[in-house]
Amino acid sequence: MPAQNTISIAVICSSNMNRSMEAHAFLSKKGFNVKSFGTGDKVKLPGNAPDRPNIYDFGTSYEEIYNDLLTKDKQYYTQNGLLHMLDRNRRIKPRPERFQLSKDKFDILVTCEERVYDQVIECMEARSHEDNQPVHLINIDIQDNHEEATVGSFLICELVTVLSNSDDLDNDIDELLHDFEAKCARPILHTVLFY
Amino acid sequence: MDPRLHRRQESEKKGSSDLVVEWLNDASMSTSESVKLTNLAKVNEFLIHKEPKLLDLYLDETLQFSLDRSSEVRKLIAGFLEEAGCKQPDLIPRLVQTLARLVGDDASAVIKRALRAAGRILRATLKWISSVAIITTDMELAWTQLSNLKVAIINMIDSDNDGIRTQAVKFLEGVVLLQTYPDPDAPKKPDDFSLEDIPLTLKIARRRKLEEEANHVMDLLIKFHGSPHVSSVNLMTCMGSLALIAKTRPQFMRQVIQALQLLQHDLPPTLSDSQVTSVQKQLKLTLLGLLKHPASIEFAGTMARQLNQLGAREQEIMKAYPKVEDIRKMKKRQQETAAASAAKRAKLEAAIAVEEPEQQPMEIESVKPPELIELSENFISDRLSVEIATELVMDSMAWVPDVMTSVFQREYQPTSTTDINVQRQTIARLLAVQIKQAKAKRVKRETKEEDAVMEDLIKNPTITVAEAKRERKREKDREKEKEAKASLEAHEKSLKMAKNRLKTLKLSEITKPLQRETKEKMLLMAVGRILGAERIAVLGGVAPVRSKILTTLAATFNPYIREAVLRYITEDMRCRLDLALGWLYEEYALLQGFQRRTTLTSKPQEAPHQAYNFLLCTLVSAIDLVPGKDRDVLLSRLYLEAPLITEDAVEALKLVSSDETRGLAPLELLKEMVIRRPTKQLVFLNVLLCHTGHENNTIREAAIEFVVQLYSRPELAKLIEEYAVLYLGFLRLPNPPEIVFGQDRGRPQIDDQWSESTTRACLGLYLALLSEHQDLIYELARVYTSMGADVKRIILRLVEGPVRLLGMSSPQLLSLVENCPKGAETLVTRVIHILTEKSAPSAELVAKVRELYQTRVSDVRFLIPVLNGLTKKEVIAALPKLIKLNPIVVKEVFNRLLGTHNNDSGIPHMSPITPAELLIALHTIDTSKAELKTVIKATSLCFAEKQVYTQETVAVVMQHLMEMTPLPTLLMRTVIQSLALYPRLSGFVMNILQRLILKQVWKQHKVWEGFVKCCERTQPQSFSVILQLPPAQLAEALKMSPGLKAPLLAHVESFAENQKAHIPQSVMDVIQGKMLPVVADEFDIAPPGEYPLELKSEPMDTDPSEPAPPGLD
Repeated sequence: MPAQNTISIAVICSSNMNRSMEAHAFLSKKGFNVKSFGTGDKVKLPGNAPDRPNIYDFGTSYEEIYNDLLTKDKQYYTQNGLLHMLDRNRRIKPRPERFQLSKDKFDILVTCEERVYDQVIECMEARSHEDNQPVHLINIDIQDNHEEATVGSFLICELVTVLSNSDDLDNDIDELLHDFEAKCARPILHTVLFY
Repeated sequence: MDPRLHRRQESEKKGSSDLVVEWLNDASMSTSESVKLTNLAKVNEFLIHKEPKLLDLYLDETLQFSLDRSSEVRKLIAGFLEEAGCKQPDLIPRLVQTLARLVGDDASAVIKRALRAAGRILRATLKWISSVAIITTDMELAWTQLSNLKVAIINMIDSDNDGIRTQAVKFLEGVVLLQTYPDPDAPKKPDDFSLEDIPLTLKIARRRKLEEEANHVMDLLIKFHGSPHVSSVNLMTCMGSLALIAKTRPQFMRQVIQALQLLQHDLPPTLSDSQVTSVQKQLKLTLLGLLKHPASIEFAGTMARQLNQLGAREQEIMKAYPKVEDIRKMKKRQQETAAASAAKRAKLEAAIAVEEPEQQPMEIESVKPPELIELSENFISDRLSVEIATELVMDSMAWVPDVMTSVFQREYQPTSTTDINVQRQTIARLLAVQIKQAKAKRVKRETKEEDAVMEDLIKNPTITVAEAKRERKREKDREKEKEAKASLEAHEKSLKMAKNRLKTLKLSEITKPLQRETKEKMLLMAVGRILGAERIAVLGGVAPVRSKILTTLAATFNPYIREAVLRYITEDMRCRLDLALGWLYEEYALLQGFQRRTTLTSKPQEAPHQAYNFLLCTLVSAIDLVPGKDRDVLLSRLYLEAPLITEDAVEALKLVSSDETRGLAPLELLKEMVIRRPTKQLVFLNVLLCHTGHENNTIREAAIEFVVQLYSRPELAKLIEEYAVLYLGFLRLPNPPEIVFGQDRGRPQIDDQWSESTTRACLGLYLALLSEHQDLIYELARVYTSMGADVKRIILRLVEGPVRLLGMSSPQLLSLVENCPKGAETLVTRVIHILTEKSAPSAELVAKVRELYQTRVSDVRFLIPVLNGLTKKEVIAALPKLIKLNPIVVKEVFNRLLGTHNNDSGIPHMSPITPAELLIALHTIDTSKAELKTVIKATSLCFAEKQVYTQETVAVVMQHLMEMTPLPTLLMRTVIQSLALYPRLSGFVMNILQRLILKQVWKQHKVWEGFVKCCERTQPQSFSVILQLPPAQLAEALKMSPGLKAPLLAHVESFAENQKAHIPQSVMDVIQGKMLPVVADEFDIAPPGEYPLELKSEPMDTDPSEPAPPGLD
């Protein structure tokens, strides 16, 4: 699959923890050129009470977060799967990355919820345009839990595969997305942005 | 490029250039795409970033790959030339053709990449040609090629490929941004380049033309944005581009926002559901982004509404909504610019003659410098004479520093050659550079620059060039100086002018706007003073001006002023009505848009005629408070002179006119308004008509009178008639309609029974119109048949006046009588009654009634009114029926016949029947037609009329009756009654009695009874009559009236003997009771002619002793 190498993909969720990382893991396993990001101000993880989430800066590495949670309540965080998730994440890349700070250019951006989609648009429009390289921004709503993240990563992979097989993506994307939407039965948002 | 430069670089960078050559060779030799790509990527990287100096050398070689078979390679080349062009714009002329070729490539990916490159190359080119001093033919050619390419790309917006269209849109966006003026308020970014930066002098790219082109492209973009079959990707791209343009080029904000609004209402039908969602989302985000931009403030309201429709949350909108102070600032700025432009305009007008010549030096100045630059090198070397050089050196000696500067030390290179021309050229070049720099500096610093130029200029040559050359420089310098001086002068002049202008502008700038409250307060005080100056204004002869000022102020400024003026007017309505009218006209002019309303008072929420209406109504109510007669005059003046009467004002007049205390003036005014205000004619007529049904008599009658006056106008007649008939029609309803009730009718309470008042309300106008238009009477008759009994009664009463007015000769009335509708008999009867009450019925009327009576309605009552017109025969024929009626009616009938009770009219009473005839007729009525009793009643009615039935009349009647055969039953009753009335008739009665004996009165039982009764009453005169009775009848009479016997006997006894002898014995026997009248029966049946002698002889004896009743002979 030569096209897969040339197309560059970013998967974006809020905290670059669960959904984007799940997809990141799955897509890189499939041989895609993929990166993952979060758009939130901070990295947020559920705590042992609903009103006490664990909050970290974007610079904090997965390793540090892992250790922090380990010391806080090993059993609880093992049980709810956070430690497992962090363990997976730290094998993929060192730390969560914030999309707004990234200077990379991609061909496709996939977001996991509408709010993130909005933030990406906002961020891209605030940048000064350099060379008008187009990038397709696609949103697939995925609930922020482990199961949905797994299902979502399959969906994203399927979509990206379809898109990457196109000879002329810009021309075909409307149709491809329409077909995909019918297939996955989820509402999809799509727009084009420029670098 | 200087070839020497290349050589040097080549020698230095031998190693790296080898590398490039190697890569290029590998790439061209290899057939593998990936090898080519890697190598070219390396070349690209190396040439662009590592060794840009080599770029020039290997450019053409690298560009060769644009013909490669692999599209990826071509794409890479497109990227390469983009980078190259941006880095080193002087290479662009060599790139353009390749670029054009790539734009026209077959592979869409290459085209897209090339389009992106083209956008940046275009920008770089424009930047480049703007910065260089001299435009070479190469550059011109490149620019022309690029312009052609631009046109080609603009056409690509219609490409079949979605991605190409997307890139084309982005290219167009770039063109618009590049070729328009930027937002003056926005901070300038360092790498921003726009129309502003293009020198005015650039011949190949004129600002105006570029801007025109950009506007055209913008229109194209908007058209594309609004096209119905645009794909969602293109649409969103275009939306983004438009938003970006609007943000950075606010002059397009309005267009863009309109386009977005249009889109929202009219999304392309080809979009799928999720695409619609995406597009709407994009639209929402775009709008939010625009809303934050200061230039969109004036559209904030509509945008917020639009966002609301798109489902944006309130707080989102509020967050993006411009702050209040920003809005205020914006408005202020708008006002300021408006004021400034106004000031400018004012100044322009004042100084139009001065302005024009002044502009010329400025132009000259701005044109000159580039010439200087271009020509300087040759120019200087040509003119570098000995004298100039000398002067330059001499002048600059004073500026030479004591110590050699480090800059000089570092940069100065002594000339190696001895060739004077080369040296000269070098000096000239240095000078040119200096001048060029100076020129650049001068733009920033102002005037002193020329001196600095001189300074620099002088320094170098002084030290470096030989004495011999100084002379030459001097001349050049002088010339320079002259030029500099000229430009300096021009500059100063323009500066001075600028200063002047600045000053005037400053004046308006430094005057801060007053506080709103202060302003309003001062305004109010000013108005107060104007109001107070009434007398002075009149004395000064400026009263009209004053009133114009006041009206304008009152009409166009704030409500406080309006209030103040209004109060002033209402204080003395009498004298200030003119002012009020002036104001009304002012308001009217505003209302009609004859004048432009100032922005000060534009109140969009107010209905346009609100101000006018309010003023008019206030004036009306103010007039209402004026005491005395003036009130009516003022009111009619106001209403007649006001330019427009609003509905409220009509209502007010209606109210006033229904007030009795105001008299008839308001009603009169209403009538006037109907006549004088033809456009509102119907409105006023309606009010007036409404009043014709008013509870209050005065108002109703007055209103009716006015309406009747108006009825004579043909244009209104029909309307009034319809109204009257409509109301007449109401009378048919079982209950009075609600319309006749209400405050304005003076009947606040709704009554569900017809009363006289309500009937009048519905009938008044109609009856009044009757006399004007008699045909209407049929309508009444038609309606009458279906009316309720109560209403009928009221109508019969009300109809009297009008019918009397019509008179008997009215053909309509006659025809009504003739064609009396079924059910309207009472009405017709009433009408006939009314007509005949005061005068005798006309022959026509009688004829009609007779016809009616004979052919259709056999009610005898119809005849009563026209009795006097009938013939005697008819009257007598109708008599039996007539006397059977109600006694009152019978009396009325007799009154008519006898002419009693209505002799006040003075017309001699004409009756078809004389009283005597009447009484006789009564007596002759057949008992089968009328009972005796009724006849008795009728006769007694006659006797009650003593004036008519005088002694003589009665005698005549009796005479006639007595001669009848058989004798009328009531004969004796009448005789007795006559006798009772007129005792002096007794002699006459005796005579009658005697005659009755001759007629054998005893044969008619009733009459015989009466006869005896009469004799009894008239004793003792009757004794002589009694004695003439045959003995049998005498006996019977005595038996019937036993009281007679004794007086009769006494009477006979008192007779003298000879007298006694005349009395037959048989009679005497009867009187004395000696002999019973045995043969009474025989006598009874004896034939009438048995005793004629006896009877005839008797009266001969008695007659002379008695006075004969008058008229007997």
